[in-house]
Amino acid sequence: MTALLEVRDLVTAYGKIEALKGVNLDVQQGSITCLLGPNGAGKTTLMMTIAGILRPRIGSIRFAGEEIAGRPPHAIVAGGAALVPENRLVFPNMTVLDNLHAGAYQRKDDFASDIERLFTRFPRLKERSTQLAGTLSGGEQQMLAVARALMSRPKLLLMDEPSLGLAPLVVEEIFRIITQLHQDGVSIFLVEQNAHMALKVAQHFYLMEQGKVTFSGTPGALAEDEVIRRAYLGSARA
Amino acid sequence: MGVLTNIGLISFVALSAYLLILAGEMSFGQQGFFGVGAYTAGVATAMYGVPLPIAALMAMGAGAAAAFLVGLPTLRLRGLYFAMATLAAAEMLRIVFELIHFQREIDGEPVGPDGTQGFRGIRWVFENGVEREGYLAMVWGLLFVVVILFLIVERSKLGATLRMLGEDPELARMLGIHVERFKLGVVATAGALAALGGALYAHHNTYIEPRNFDIMLGVHSLAYALIGGLGTVFGPLLGVLIDIGALEGSRVFHGYRMIVFGGLVAVLLIFRPRGLLDERVVHWLKRRLA
Amino acid sequence: MILDLIQNSFDGLAMGASYALLAVGFTLVFGVLRRVNLSYGPAIMFGCYAATWVSFSFHSNIFLLLGIAVLGSVLAGTYVERLCFAPHHKGSAIAAMVASFALWMQFEEVVTLVMPKHLYDFPPMFDAEPLAIGPLSLRAEALVMLACALAICFALHRMLYRSRFGLALRAVTDAPVAAQLAGINVPRVLLLVFLLASAIGGLAGWLIVSTHTQVTPMLGMWSTLKGLLAMMIGGLGSLPGAVIGGLALGVLEAHSQWFLGPQARDLIAYLLLFVLLAWRPRWMTTSHG
Repeated sequence: MTALLEVRDLVTAYGKIEALKGVNLDVQQGSITCLLGPNGAGKTTLMMTIAGILRPRIGSIRFAGEEIAGRPPHAIVAGGAALVPENRLVFPNMTVLDNLHAGAYQRKDDFASDIERLFTRFPRLKERSTQLAGTLSGGEQQMLAVARALMSRPKLLLMDEPSLGLAPLVVEEIFRIITQLHQDGVSIFLVEQNAHMALKVAQHFYLMEQGKVTFSGTPGALAEDEVIRRAYLGSARA
Repeated sequence: MGVLTNIGLISFVALSAYLLILAGEMSFGQQGFFGVGAYTAGVATAMYGVPLPIAALMAMGAGAAAAFLVGLPTLRLRGLYFAMATLAAAEMLRIVFELIHFQREIDGEPVGPDGTQGFRGIRWVFENGVEREGYLAMVWGLLFVVVILFLIVERSKLGATLRMLGEDPELARMLGIHVERFKLGVVATAGALAALGGALYAHHNTYIEPRNFDIMLGVHSLAYALIGGLGTVFGPLLGVLIDIGALEGSRVFHGYRMIVFGGLVAVLLIFRPRGLLDERVVHWLKRRLA
Repeated sequence: MILDLIQNSFDGLAMGASYALLAVGFTLVFGVLRRVNLSYGPAIMFGCYAATWVSFSFHSNIFLLLGIAVLGSVLAGTYVERLCFAPHHKGSAIAAMVASFALWMQFEEVVTLVMPKHLYDFPPMFDAEPLAIGPLSLRAEALVMLACALAICFALHRMLYRSRFGLALRAVTDAPVAAQLAGINVPRVLLLVFLLASAIGGLAGWLIVSTHTQVTPMLGMWSTLKGLLAMMIGGLGSLPGAVIGGLALGVLEAHSQWFLGPQARDLIAYLLLFVLLAWRPRWMTTSHG
């Protein structure tokens, strides 16, 4: 496998405070990679930097062999990486259908068949296609955010805490979709607090604390690490 | 000489706009209270023979009262809503000045506000033998007092509360500060400050008209505070000094003054969006001086 | 009395149509940027002065002048966007506003340097006499103004809901960060919105000056104030609101001027704004502001 995404020595700062203090990690082509870490570790900052919303101070982000650090977000979407942001961030005053159209903004080809396919995958969205996105439930909004990102036909899907604030059944649904997308060939880089669910799907794990990657390994290695198990898996055995 | 006096006079309005910015509010309407002060003091000295010091106090009272009345229904407004409400209030005041025809016969001449014709003969300063130098000293003396008061307040708990109110009103509320009452106090104080400037302005020019108090003055005072810097009370003064002192005072840019000034300001704000003397520079200066 | 009311209402609607166009331009920019462009009116004034200059120096074909007015406003608007708004997208709203005020001063000085008289004649749209319908008189310019306002609103509505650019514009207005993540080039959309608003402003300016057949430097401040007023009355940031706000302001002004005089007209307009702000009825707050 080759690395689809390579992050090297990445530093992102808010004023004088460095949220990322030299981050290094890889996402392999065709993998599901999961990033764990406590609140405030810099996970969202990392995602926003990869997506181009935040500018890194130093460091490199190579995506599909190209340097993308500091590029504007629309160029990164055009390059094939799409972020499903934390707290979903749909367009609340636009219809579900318009949300999907906006997701395909970059595309010049006909995307009607994509919408049909997404509607088969997310039947709830089809039922509500003319409703305003702001009126959907949290789970539906999350589905919409994922569907919107998929409209750009990304090679890499970045997902920032997709299960946050959702009911357990909905979380399972989300993870089922993640697995399906993976089977369809999309590489996925996932930020998740729900380590139990992540363990079932991801092939590689990183742990981030205070702006630095402090662990890198397979699910097996993760489950064997005593400290991580206490912090992220509670008393339960993996 | 005239330029120096003008710098002093306009500084009062600039400081009153600055005081509101500190409390997190942007006012387009301080010129209205400047006008209230000018008219009140003018009527008092020219029509009723009140000595200027007392008239200035009356002006401040009137300015505070007017600002209080404007502030009361607009307390909950923030940002553009507050700015527009203050603009509407100031424009209403200006139109009221245009509608006031209130004159008395003094020495066979009608004296008093005459609508759009303005208000002539506010001559207390000349009639009482105050030299131009003396008046200049008085204006700058009062300004000095105001600046000292600002400096004292900024170092006190009151100043910290003020900045907190500007940066995070919800936090201030949680800490038990009565946000509405506090803001009303700030609005009234800023009104009084602008009115004091107005009273002095009327007696310097001896003639005022409603047009003096239009939105141009209000936006200028906001601009002064922002150009000079929001980090210290000297910021707005620096802003006035740059505009009136360096550009109007010198004849170098005669005819092109606003083109030069406007361009400078726009470019400056790109690099220093909180003005020349912003919080960082002030912090750095304090450390160097200490 | 009844006739006066009808006549005033009609005149007010015509005036209100120009306010509505000004407010629509303001609202487009405010909707996506959350910033007030004080230089909006002065940029329009710049365009109208450019047209006046052309009419004196070369030719006074009304369509040529319209083109120059729109082009001048768009050029001035681009200058304002590049210098005052593009650098402050993520920064301070008040800095952007004060910067736009600084450019206002520039525009005023530029036009008065080139054309120093206080007042210039502007070629009228037509030489036609007002149409008399019974005892009422309808100026053809008023009809053109109303027709233009309606046409622009219709076109804008179609653009917003039928075009790719409209989709981008709505997305940026609704959730700017999400728009970036969806792959929309947000800075470019913002620039284009600014140009669109300036072009509408230029059209409004031309309609106003060719109806009044004169141009003064006051046009800048006047347009900014009327546009802001109409936008605020209509509820911040909604296009239909801006149109209704503009028309309502025009009708209100026409009646109060007729019955109470020009000073009372302005007083009542500001009083209405103040009361609306203090009272804050629902339609003013529910629009995202």
